[in-house]
Amino acid sequence: MKDLVAILVNSLLAAGLYATMSYGLAVIYGVMRIINLAHAGILMLGAYATLTLYSRFGLDPFLSLAVVIPVFFGFGVLLYLTMVRRLPRSSSGASIESLLLLFGVWLVLQNLAYAIWTGDTQSILTGYTMKSLSVLGVRVGVPTVAVFAVSAASLVVLQVILRRTYLGRAIRAVTQNRDAALIAGVNADRISAVAFGIGTAFAGVAGSLLATMYAFTPDFGRSFLLKSFCIIVLAGMESVAGVAAGSFLLALLENVVGGYTSIPTSFQDALSFLLLVVALVAFPHGLLGAFGRSSLRRRSIP
Amino acid sequence: MRRRARSLALGAASLALLLAAPSFLERGTLNDIWNVAFAVILASAWNLLGGFAGQISIGYSAFIGIGAYTTALLALKGVNPYATLPLAALLGAAFSFVVGLPTFRLRGPYFTIATIGVSEAVRVVATGVAFTGGSSGLRMPAGSFDFTRNYASMVILAVAVVSLSAWVKNSPFGRALAAIRQDIDAAESLGVHSARYKLLAHALSAAIVAVAGSLFAINFQYISPGSVFDFRLSLSIVLMPIVGGLGTVGGPVLGALLFGYLQIKLLSSPALRDSYLFIYGGMLIAVMLFEPKGLLGLFHRLRRAAGRAVSRPVPDAG
Amino acid sequence: MRGNFRALRFLLAGILAAAGPGTLWAADGVIKIGAVLPVTGKESKIGGAYKQATEYAVKEVNDAGGVKVGGKPMKIELTLLDDTSDAAKSAQLVEQLITQQKVDAVIGGYGSQLVQAQSVVPERYGVPYVSGGAGARGIYGRSKWVFGTLSPVDVLSSTQMDFLSALVAAGKLKKPLKIALVTENTEHGKDYAQGVHDYLKAHPGGFSLAVEESFELYTPDFKPLLTRVAAARADLFMADAHLEDFIAMHRTYTQMGLYHQMVTYGARGADAAGRKALGPATDYIFASGWWSDLLPYPQVKAFNAKWKAATGSEPQWYHALAYETVRALVVALSHAASLKPEAIRSALAAVDLKDSILPGGELKYSSSGQAILPFVVTQNKPADKVDIVWPLSSKTGDPVAPVPKS
Repeated sequence: MKDLVAILVNSLLAAGLYATMSYGLAVIYGVMRIINLAHAGILMLGAYATLTLYSRFGLDPFLSLAVVIPVFFGFGVLLYLTMVRRLPRSSSGASIESLLLLFGVWLVLQNLAYAIWTGDTQSILTGYTMKSLSVLGVRVGVPTVAVFAVSAASLVVLQVILRRTYLGRAIRAVTQNRDAALIAGVNADRISAVAFGIGTAFAGVAGSLLATMYAFTPDFGRSFLLKSFCIIVLAGMESVAGVAAGSFLLALLENVVGGYTSIPTSFQDALSFLLLVVALVAFPHGLLGAFGRSSLRRRSIP
Repeated sequence: MRRRARSLALGAASLALLLAAPSFLERGTLNDIWNVAFAVILASAWNLLGGFAGQISIGYSAFIGIGAYTTALLALKGVNPYATLPLAALLGAAFSFVVGLPTFRLRGPYFTIATIGVSEAVRVVATGVAFTGGSSGLRMPAGSFDFTRNYASMVILAVAVVSLSAWVKNSPFGRALAAIRQDIDAAESLGVHSARYKLLAHALSAAIVAVAGSLFAINFQYISPGSVFDFRLSLSIVLMPIVGGLGTVGGPVLGALLFGYLQIKLLSSPALRDSYLFIYGGMLIAVMLFEPKGLLGLFHRLRRAAGRAVSRPVPDAG
Repeated sequence: MRGNFRALRFLLAGILAAAGPGTLWAADGVIKIGAVLPVTGKESKIGGAYKQATEYAVKEVNDAGGVKVGGKPMKIELTLLDDTSDAAKSAQLVEQLITQQKVDAVIGGYGSQLVQAQSVVPERYGVPYVSGGAGARGIYGRSKWVFGTLSPVDVLSSTQMDFLSALVAAGKLKKPLKIALVTENTEHGKDYAQGVHDYLKAHPGGFSLAVEESFELYTPDFKPLLTRVAAARADLFMADAHLEDFIAMHRTYTQMGLYHQMVTYGARGADAAGRKALGPATDYIFASGWWSDLLPYPQVKAFNAKWKAATGSEPQWYHALAYETVRALVVALSHAASLKPEAIRSALAAVDLKDSILPGGELKYSSSGQAILPFVVTQNKPADKVDIVWPLSSKTGDPVAPVPKS
């Protein structure tokens, strides 16, 4: 019984972080049908930004989010305006050009990081990094709990924005049916820029949070990127709740495999990769929620 | 006919020149040629699926790894390394079916993501499983190294793959692939079984890449999951044809030469060594934004702008 | 067919371009030595230290007038390249040093996984190669050209088992004891596990394995692994990891509130970098090392003094190993009849330093090319103190066992 509680607690805590990390990818995909491979690079930059703010200015990683959010939002909008917007829009949904373009951006960001911070492994050690506390009888590190708290808060804020503001409604409209939204008077281009900004900001936040828990190098981000894909494919684009559910599912699967089977822990990454492929192939419309009802947005060939 | 004869003659001449090279070039330079030939093979083979058929797979390092490990494992059991090449090709093709059957149902970018997922999964499994030697990899048995033979086989394979690529492009098979690349639904409605052709192209290119992987193991004598199942390797395989000119015959070769040259220069200059990602990424961005037909497309565009008559229109690279 | 034509033209152009400028010829009166180390990247913390010590050792030799080879004094010209902790690049750089710089000998890198990749190159070209940074047994014995100063990792773990048995004999630990064994899935880790297994087989009763797990090098998240370790409820925790994994693993270990009567991470624990990263969480960790500055030999005290004077800090084991490797190569060069590869190689095979700073006081290479020397076991004490606790003849303090609960 104690084991089960431990698995649930650990899964929940991990899910919060996964959700924050995935939402950044989800919003960009939802609004523009663009698969943002630069997401990994932004996660990485978020981690390094936090590192720099911590080591240079002594700013606590969680407090530094106040700086990270606006800066990364701006960076995302800039990225959209200078590069993404110039790509031809593909009528059949997502395009390979945007994927490759953002791939290129990821590589450039990696190199930037190597140049500024070198390839040495970095980690952030604060006064509370080694401390732990007990949650429902399970011992967890303080950073893990703090990360969960921030993730949950950010998703709640996001949900409020989506439901209560014009911006949020516009984003949801464009996600569901771009053409109809245009007819309704939504400035899709501006919404796209904002969505890209939000997506980048979320990735930056996720990166900052990850930096408090893991060591990182400029190569950091790839396995998190694939996990995020897995989650958004499972979750569909419509709702924050979908992403949260998908995140919890993945985290639970990882913990169950780790705790109840004797599959070597080094295979756990392979698990999420395979789940991604299975999800792509078996669930063309996502697990929860409608996704791409229009036949033009089909992910697979009949 | 004359053109065909001319290119055959050129092909034979360059092959002869390359094979004679060990007698007048230094070992260091021959190493470089080996590396460039390796790149040419990978880029041209990938182009069969990625360029001709338009299915972008960023998971080809899996095939290199399959070839390399097949050869290494069998060589360690006493088999002549060169005798393992056909088996490596077969296993590469077989694995391409395993990957292709479920994933070819996906369109464009989704297929690409799936291939990334598969190749990463393969890497993790290869690192964790015992018979592959795990993270520490495998070493070829001592005394099996013969550089002249390695060099010759690599060079021959490179010329063969480029020739095959040219032949495919102008064959009915190649035309079917082009139709799939341009509009898969239209092709299907015209009676082209897209799944069958995609699987075939995938198998052909995977087999070639696996053989290249075997030759890699034979030449480098030491392989590990990190070196042959590397994501960055998959990435460079994709970048070469894209930057050079997707879907053409000369494009991948041009891209391979460029990257091969870059690799050589980068390795010797510390300042550049740290900027290779910047260069790759920058080129990818530039190509996507400004010239999706790659360097070859740029070349043709400049030629047309210069007003010179072109006897044949540039094939549409989609 | 036009494409074919163009493609082959490119191939030709490629060859001509690649047949670049000629290479330099070896300058007279200079011994060219190449080294490839992970100065940046995941192994940079120790790789950088190897670079520092290697350059120091070479400078020391050159300042003293150089090396006398066949009666003629020659200076050493060291070319040291950074492989950024990437195995494939590491091998390529060694190859480049041999084919382009035409070095007379190569000093290997740090890290068994990097040295493994490098070690196949010397055999292909017939160039002497000596590494001070790899202990995995599998690297040696395959090529007569490859030498290593670090003793085998399986001896590292069996030494630790000897130490633990001594603790049992002294009454500090009570049998039976269950061990949680966690190793990286590389040759280094496999050797460590092998040492433990062989010991258990040779000394039945007393120790048993509660759980055995392996992990991939540079795993980001050790939580799943350590959850399994916790579930096994073992008495002793024995792990083998490189520096970054040690830091990540022990951080998670501490956060999870795990406890074992004795904790070790193989050779890690006492190094300054680890203590700095983890603070008091490293107290009472015991480690089995290739060297300690506390060794009671006069040559060690002399080395400590001159290192402190030159750099301002205490030497760590990696500095000592890098330094001693260069010294062994230099002594071999001075005994070599010429700079021909075979002459240097046979001199290396015959080298016997009787005033070595390494444990045991003598350095020579065994028939496999690897030096097989004794290990010291150290234990971290509070307030950054370290004590040698084994072998008893060299001990500077008493071992604390079991580890006090915090």
